[in-house]
Amino acid sequence: MKVCLTQRLTKVAVALTAVGLAGFLAPAAQADTVRVTVAYYSDQTEPYFKQMAAAFEKANPGDAIQIEMVNWDTLQQKLQTDIAGGSNADLAIIGTRWLLDFVKDDMAEPLDGYMNPAFKNRFIGAFLAPGQISGKTYGLPIAASARALYYNKTTLTKAGFPEGPKTWDDVVAASRKIKAAGGYGFGLQGKEIETDIYWYYSLWTNGGDVVGKNGKSAFASPAGIKAATLYKSMIDQGLTQPGVTNYSREDVQNLFKQGRVSMVISAPFLAKQIKKEAPTLKYGIAPVPMGTSRATYAVTDSMVMFKNSKVKATAWKFLDYLFTKGPRVAFTSNEGFLPTTKEEAAAPQFADADTKAFVNLLPSARFAPTVTGWEDTAKAVSDAMQSVYLGKAKPADALKAASLIADKALGQ
Amino acid sequence: MTRIARRPLTPWLLIVPSFALALFVIGYPLYNIVFQSVHEVSRFGLIRGFCGLDNFRKVFADPIFMASLWRTLWWTLGVVGGTVLVAVPVALILNQDFYGRGVARVIVMLPWSVSLTMTAIVWRWAFNDEYGMVNVTLQRMGLIAAPVHWLATSTLAFPVEILVGILVSVPFTVTIFLGGLSSVPVDIYEAARIDGASGWQQFRKLTLPLLRPFINMAIVLNVIYVFNSFPIIWVMTQGGPSNGTHILVTYLYEQGFRLGKPGEAAAVSLVMLVMLFAITALYLRIQPREGGEA
Repeated sequence: MKVCLTQRLTKVAVALTAVGLAGFLAPAAQADTVRVTVAYYSDQTEPYFKQMAAAFEKANPGDAIQIEMVNWDTLQQKLQTDIAGGSNADLAIIGTRWLLDFVKDDMAEPLDGYMNPAFKNRFIGAFLAPGQISGKTYGLPIAASARALYYNKTTLTKAGFPEGPKTWDDVVAASRKIKAAGGYGFGLQGKEIETDIYWYYSLWTNGGDVVGKNGKSAFASPAGIKAATLYKSMIDQGLTQPGVTNYSREDVQNLFKQGRVSMVISAPFLAKQIKKEAPTLKYGIAPVPMGTSRATYAVTDSMVMFKNSKVKATAWKFLDYLFTKGPRVAFTSNEGFLPTTKEEAAAPQFADADTKAFVNLLPSARFAPTVTGWEDTAKAVSDAMQSVYLGKAKPADALKAASLIADKALGQ
Repeated sequence: MTRIARRPLTPWLLIVPSFALALFVIGYPLYNIVFQSVHEVSRFGLIRGFCGLDNFRKVFADPIFMASLWRTLWWTLGVVGGTVLVAVPVALILNQDFYGRGVARVIVMLPWSVSLTMTAIVWRWAFNDEYGMVNVTLQRMGLIAAPVHWLATSTLAFPVEILVGILVSVPFTVTIFLGGLSSVPVDIYEAARIDGASGWQQFRKLTLPLLRPFINMAIVLNVIYVFNSFPIIWVMTQGGPSNGTHILVTYLYEQGFRLGKPGEAAAVSLVMLVMLFAITALYLRIQPREGGEA
């Protein structure tokens, strides 16, 4: 018995070694191997990129695409370790807001040399712009999304707003009625990533801005105080879910899916989640409520090419392929993002009311500006909002303090 | 044997390989961290230039850092102190011979077998305002009228995190104590009983002194683990709200991987290393030397 096991183990070991060697030798026989670091958006992401790699390899015999999948949370960490160790991939998906650091450290390859006007013309201009720094294109918009107000049709109809609230006053009025009926009106995010953004909706629509034209912080303004006071007064009147500083973005969205809050501002992917997880929920999508002006937040993720790549030509070929119609439509509809190329936008997959509602908001969309210190600003603002929501600080004082911290980091 | 004794070089040669390996494994990262801490490092880990002690200066000028530093001491004191206070009686009970002891031991050890991150996620859900197990249970029992917002304010969230910290540290500590208790001879208790010692006296005069070296070891090891413990606080509150639950290691992570300041993060980690050394040395120093332990 024992001998038998040993023999079997030996066989397994030999087989494993052979497989290992084959795996090791195979890529060496190829002409070019392009390594691509991609972020995990959903369980669709990896199969998608594997499929793209296979299709590309078939069309370009000899070349190989190697996909490396990382979680968003650890993406920055992985890039950091890879870059510091000189073992970075050839292409990578990054948050567009990191692009500035890439360019500053001379790690990103300018792509203008590879792009002809026809290629450039494939993109929707607003989405290509964030990937450009001082006139050069460094990142191509692989993923894009914008934000809008999701409202519960059932409760909002009862509250007298069947088409959703148009203004912040509507939101307050509707929330009062919903509260009287025993629910929570407006879902307010108060912790973790994008706590700042959730407040910017109110800041922007009240005519304020985060960073001014002089590159310094501009949120500690009358508009900022008005925006913060609006949220705080809603908390105090019980028009939001209680204990807002205990609610991350996902937590608030969950309350919306459960029908407990009636309004929440979120991205297109929430619609996908609702269809899957709460198919009976009747929801509508409306623009972010107006104060004095119209605004929403839009964000892109970029695909960049590393300057130290040794296979730039093949890497570009793969990029070119990814940004043709078929692959784009598949990616964007899989993940529930917004189309970033014109051909893609015309595809029937994006003709539904939900996507249209988001696309219509794009003219008033604000992107996170490509300035250094954006992350520090985000943190300072999030901290300030938390202390306002908790009643620990007055809006004016909290914003003033946050602006001092932000100014130290902005443009440094 | 005698040949080795005659040539004192041999033992040295024998430990050189492992010593060199240890030196490399410990030394290289340490060198790297020191190097990073005195350089300006970009978000993606590229060295931009030498900056002396600037990173340290920036860190010490940050009020959040100073608050986190003090909070780390409270965190360590709370979790380690609480753990030892809970673990001693638990170990004493589990050391008794009773029906179902095996099951009881398994239950106490179970939290150890779950990864820290998973435990933290479970507790994060348990303390959820709306559908968390804790609020629901307390409400059903009629102890609270409305949901308590456990993690919404740091005044409640931090003690909750300390409690979770105690819970996950108990199994390891109980294991150490059980090992210690099994080495305590039974006959001395018999002798003590004959002399008329009460249960409390037996505990104070026999068990505790004999358990002492094990308690010391548990405290030192737990201080090192807890001081550096990241998952509980990061998963439950990410150092918030309003930075009210940051300890040094979560602050470090935020600096390094959220705000993109690896240089400052390296400086913080060196400060932590020095603090750990100091705390451990201080603790070992104030411990009275064990007499007649040989």
